[in-house]
Amino acid sequence: MGCSLATSLVSEIKKFRRDIDPDFLFVEPSEMVLTHEMRDVTSMGLRDVKYAVGPFITLVDGPAFEVSWEERRPLILGQVEGADIVAVTRSDLLDTGRVQEIIEVLREYTGNVFQMSVTGNAGLWKVMDILYLNS
Amino acid sequence: MRVVSVSGVLGSGKTTLIRKVITLLSERGGRAGVIVNEDGEEGYPQDFIETHGIHVAQIRGG
Repeated sequence: MGCSLATSLVSEIKKFRRDIDPDFLFVEPSEMVLTHEMRDVTSMGLRDVKYAVGPFITLVDGPAFEVSWEERRPLILGQVEGADIVAVTRSDLLDTGRVQEIIEVLREYTGNVFQMSVTGNAGLWKVMDILYLNS
Repeated sequence: MRVVSVSGVLGSGKTTLIRKVITLLSERGGRAGVIVNEDGEEGYPQDFIETHGIHVAQIRGG
């Protein structure tokens, strides 16, 4: 993440805190941003204003995992490592065995991995629990 | 205010997850905001913003 982008993000976070102060501020970075970069940048505003940081959630596209893991492994790892929770998304498009294989691969790099899909809201309540647990 | 980061490659479901969580939060009286990169702003149309009373800010390149 470049300097100007980091500065813009910190500025927006501080603006939200000062002007609106929502219970939760979700940051959706571009696909190239790594988790450790997000941790560093989202914490920078704490020098000026008070707010809480985290959890850091990483989503891994289940059906695209095989190709991503082959071709973009450094990026996927950079997003998985350091994340508080990792969700394998669109898991309803895969059979259960394949989802478990992906989860096992990712668990070598991070502890809290689970499956998620829009159908039936699988995994959604886990995210909600973690949000409220942290708040 | 708690800052929550949702990372992932394009198409991994970041906007879908955030929208679902915001919907559940607003049902419980929670207030939310979103900072989104330039690829994701379309995921938060005006009717969604108004329905849930959220604020959305865009950052370029991020």
